Amino acid sequence: MSRSSEKTPLHSTSQSDIDEIESLFNISVQPATIEVPTSTAPGKPATTVPQAATIPVSSDPRPSGSGNASSSTTAAPAAGGPAAFGGGPEYNTLTEPVWVTLKRDVVRVATNLRHVVFPNPYREDPGKALRDWDLWGPFFFIIFLALTLSWSATENKSKVFAVVFAVLSAGAIVLTLNVQLLGGSIIFFQSLSLLGYCLFPLDIGALVCLARDSKLFRSIVVLVTIMWSSWSSYPFVSTAVPHSRKALAVRFSPAEIYFHMICRVKYRLSSGEESKDKRSGVIG
Amino acid sequence: MAEEENYANPLTAFFSVLFKAAALVFYIVLASFINNFIIVFVITVFLIALDFWVVKNVSGRLLVGLRWWNEINEEGESIWRFESLEQQELDRLNKKDSWLFWWTLYLTPVVWLALGIVALVKFSFDYLLVVAVALVLSTANIIGFTKCRKDAKNQIRNFATQTVTSQLASSLQTAFNRV
Repeated sequence: MSRSSEKTPLHSTSQSDIDEIESLFNISVQPATIEVPTSTAPGKPATTVPQAATIPVSSDPRPSGSGNASSSTTAAPAAGGPAAFGGGPEYNTLTEPVWVTLKRDVVRVATNLRHVVFPNPYREDPGKALRDWDLWGPFFFIIFLALTLSWSATENKSKVFAVVFAVLSAGAIVLTLNVQLLGGSIIFFQSLSLLGYCLFPLDIGALVCLARDSKLFRSIVVLVTIMWSSWSSYPFVSTAVPHSRKALAVRFSPAEIYFHMICRVKYRLSSGEESKDKRSGVIG
Repeated sequence: MAEEENYANPLTAFFSVLFKAAALVFYIVLASFINNFIIVFVITVFLIALDFWVVKNVSGRLLVGLRWWNEINEEGESIWRFESLEQQELDRLNKKDSWLFWWTLYLTPVVWLALGIVALVKFSFDYLLVVAVALVLSTANIIGFTKCRKDAKNQIRNFATQTVTSQLASSLQTAFNRV
């Protein structure tokens, strides 16, 4: 029998089965001897999250259908993950409509952006802010930045685009590794996401630079946006790194250099030069 | 009986294949016809990203009942979470759907790898970027779903063990009570 192509509402005949299974869940306490793969953060062992012996399944029927969802954590001997922690979805996301998924992701991008780039109370506790990291925001920002920069280039547009994209992505990865190698405690993807969001001021700067052609105007804009980007990234990077190495990570601030290099591209473009030497500047 | 089984979710299956195929087609065709690398890059990468999102969030859910994502918990540790339908649901899933899903999932990076080799041979490093993006995204999806499936199997196994054990225990108990 074929189901409807909508989200899966259960037939009434299977509801009794679900109920039976749920009652079984209620009887048994589940020690989660679930063997789960660890996180892919390099060299980061997953820790166990201390849990009460609760049932990980949402046993009350939701309006969008009640397929049983079991979410497992990377806890080895912990007893069953709770329905929600760390900002994850509490309900069964398997049978939600597509629209809801899409909306959730969009809202996530907006929230992350707001936390990173604009002043907000979370800055005191940066670990919380980018908890819900996502790479879509950074993705769009990188593309946008590369597009704008190549638009304003007077020659070799496609080369500029490719270089900017490659440099931005590679640079983000290198910077993340840098923080990690310095003994920092930031998660790989979290910091990638952070650096991507910090590109937002540069995006705005690039857009504004399109308006005028004067060198002075562009220099000022570039300077302002560099400072804004650095200010955004500062709390996250600094708290991620242990105190002794803070100077290396922050003061010397590879992030600033990174942003600076990008902005030099903009600067050079305004005078129509090639951006090749910038590339060597970043690697060196 | 399963011969004439239709796709239970034709629309989802269609979209799941559509974006992948469109990305490939755009890459191959546009690259030959349009000289403008930027347009090719942006369109292809956009399609690839769209496909990634669709596969991860929609196709995975509807076709094979799996979902995976990553969270950071209170202590700042990264945790991969997997969600899967319970056994009963899994059995009810359409075979054709899941066949299509897994096949296209595994086939895509292979095709992109081949294209990457072609680009390498032609020394066009610009296009290699596109291939790199495609490979990264499709590999991520593969890893995520494979882990998710393994996890689902483990869960089912554990749950079955649990059920059997608890039923055994409760029946033993009632047996003892009667004695």
